[in-house]
Amino acid sequence: MVLKRLGHPHLGLGVGLRTVHFDYILQNHPAVDWFEVISENFMDSRGRPRYVLEMIAERYPVVMHGVSLSIGSTDPLNFEYLGKLKALARDIRPLWISDHVCWTGVVGRNSHDLLPMPLTEASLKHVAERIRTVQDFLERPFVLENPSTYVGFTGSTMSEWDFIGRMAEQADCGLLLDVNNVYVSSVNHDFDPEEFIRSVPHERVVQFHLAGHTNCQTHLIDTHDGHVIDPVWKLYRLAHQLTGGVSTLLEWDAKIPPFPVLHAEVLKARKHIGVELADARMADLPTEPEPAEFDSDTAAAGFQAESAVPHPLHHAMAQVE
Amino acid sequence: MNTPDAQPISDQVNRLQRWFQAVITHADGVDAGSGSEEAQRLIQLGPSQLEKVITRSRALTAAERLAIYATAYHTRLLECLGEVFPMLKRTLGDEAFDSFAFGYLQEYPPRSYTLNELGRHFPRYLEDTRSEADGTEPDLSIAGSSSQALGAWPDFVIDLAQLEWAIYEVFDGPGVEGQSFLRFDQLVNLRPEQWAVAQLNPAPCLKLLATRFPVNDYYTSLRQLKENESPPMPRAHQSFVAFSRRGFVVRRYNLSGTEFELLRAIQGGLPVARAIECAARASGDSVDQLASNLKLWFRNWTAEGFFRGIKLPGDNTTNANNNEHEH
Repeated sequence: MVLKRLGHPHLGLGVGLRTVHFDYILQNHPAVDWFEVISENFMDSRGRPRYVLEMIAERYPVVMHGVSLSIGSTDPLNFEYLGKLKALARDIRPLWISDHVCWTGVVGRNSHDLLPMPLTEASLKHVAERIRTVQDFLERPFVLENPSTYVGFTGSTMSEWDFIGRMAEQADCGLLLDVNNVYVSSVNHDFDPEEFIRSVPHERVVQFHLAGHTNCQTHLIDTHDGHVIDPVWKLYRLAHQLTGGVSTLLEWDAKIPPFPVLHAEVLKARKHIGVELADARMADLPTEPEPAEFDSDTAAAGFQAESAVPHPLHHAMAQVE
Repeated sequence: MNTPDAQPISDQVNRLQRWFQAVITHADGVDAGSGSEEAQRLIQLGPSQLEKVITRSRALTAAERLAIYATAYHTRLLECLGEVFPMLKRTLGDEAFDSFAFGYLQEYPPRSYTLNELGRHFPRYLEDTRSEADGTEPDLSIAGSSSQALGAWPDFVIDLAQLEWAIYEVFDGPGVEGQSFLRFDQLVNLRPEQWAVAQLNPAPCLKLLATRFPVNDYYTSLRQLKENESPPMPRAHQSFVAFSRRGFVVRRYNLSGTEFELLRAIQGGLPVARAIECAARASGDSVDQLASNLKLWFRNWTAEGFFRGIKLPGDNTTNANNNEHEH
């Protein structure tokens, strides 16, 4: 029998750690349940980013989230990268390590994008084998996320929810269900997002992602630059109901608002999931008033095709006197 | 997909991935990418046959859908380079900067798992393509505004790129925060005979840069101005900078040519006395002439934590003990 959340803890409502919030967090110690950190921003750092992460990891539960594992690439796994990932995990002790069901490049290149997998038996076998290798190497719980995608392949023979569900079963890994990505991909690929949410193996869902996206009218782009829109909250409610509730994380990667706005956005989850469904940990959530609405230039549903770039875009920003 | 079943499964996926990458990273867009020799070798498609591989959606054709990835690829990387070289971008202007950065990405496509490595070869690329920088002078007043200054514009651009990359490296590289570093009194307490053999262990964040233009001062001036303002391009003048880091913030110090040579010799592992001789030789001064400055220089450098300790023959410890701690 597979345990709910694969037996991993429900961490409550967390936010993605971003450089612009370092000072605020260190000075104010906001009552956030947990942080997700971008692994690649810290694994080589010997400067302030790593120092800040260590301070935060001492105070808050932390989960590591990667963007460059390239689990679906046909290049060999990069064991130098994996070694650094493992070393970072040894130092900051994340509850689990996650990345995406995607590839980022091939023949030695890295597009720094989350590129789509063909949904075939061949790629399913390929990915599942590599997940097992990575899990054995990392010796930590390993979780994979459904990315937003913008193309489909004529050769695909199964739905994305079949692919990731079978992948998780075959590789015996956890799932990070990005609810916003389900919504974005459902519009881009003309499928029913509720069918996706209903079809994944719920007991394997360890974490949820929430985020804003950009509506380009003909398609949606996963920009992480605004508020979570109502249809995504609706899917979140369904996902919460089906899984019984798992750790929930808000991502905001462009046009990043002040920290209290970010925190308030994820706290909106409380009204969607209901107090009776919340775990004990979530009952301790702060009751601070919600800040004034952040006046993002892009309402999530706004038309911003010109500048819309899917995440990830993560790198260090130098501080200099 | 145009992939025979008899092939090993990873070959099918591999071919599709290489094709996809060739299409979305092509400098001239998706149509050119899919028609490129590389893409055609992997999956042979006639014009307008993309939908044999990529499905269309209700609203977009296969080419339009692929273009989302192609646009994102270049936009993301250009944005990243602009953030690594912010003052160079302000100096060149968005259009000229993006033009150089775009060319750079074709020559040096990203290969690392981290975007922090993306700009590493940009100064070298600018050097290698320096003739293309002629004619890109932005609308700046140029100190001295001589034809010589105008002709040296590419050197100025390359120098500024080197300066910004040095800052970037020092910021996230190894530092001395939380560690001890050498105090001035420990240095002056060396016995005279020890100067001939004593080596100074430089802080790992100490970085030296020689430039053809005083780009460090230019960088400072530009940061102090509003976004739409620019200081004049300085006159060519060989300049030297030391970079270090305190409290995780990068610090910059202008050096004289002699200071630069002395620090470089120390960083290269020469004992202090020999490093001083080297610096004197390079500057054309005698050691006696240098002597009057040495005390001040070493006082400043130790105060800034340039050195972690003294290494003497037979001494197993390279770091200072019971010294100042940097937090």
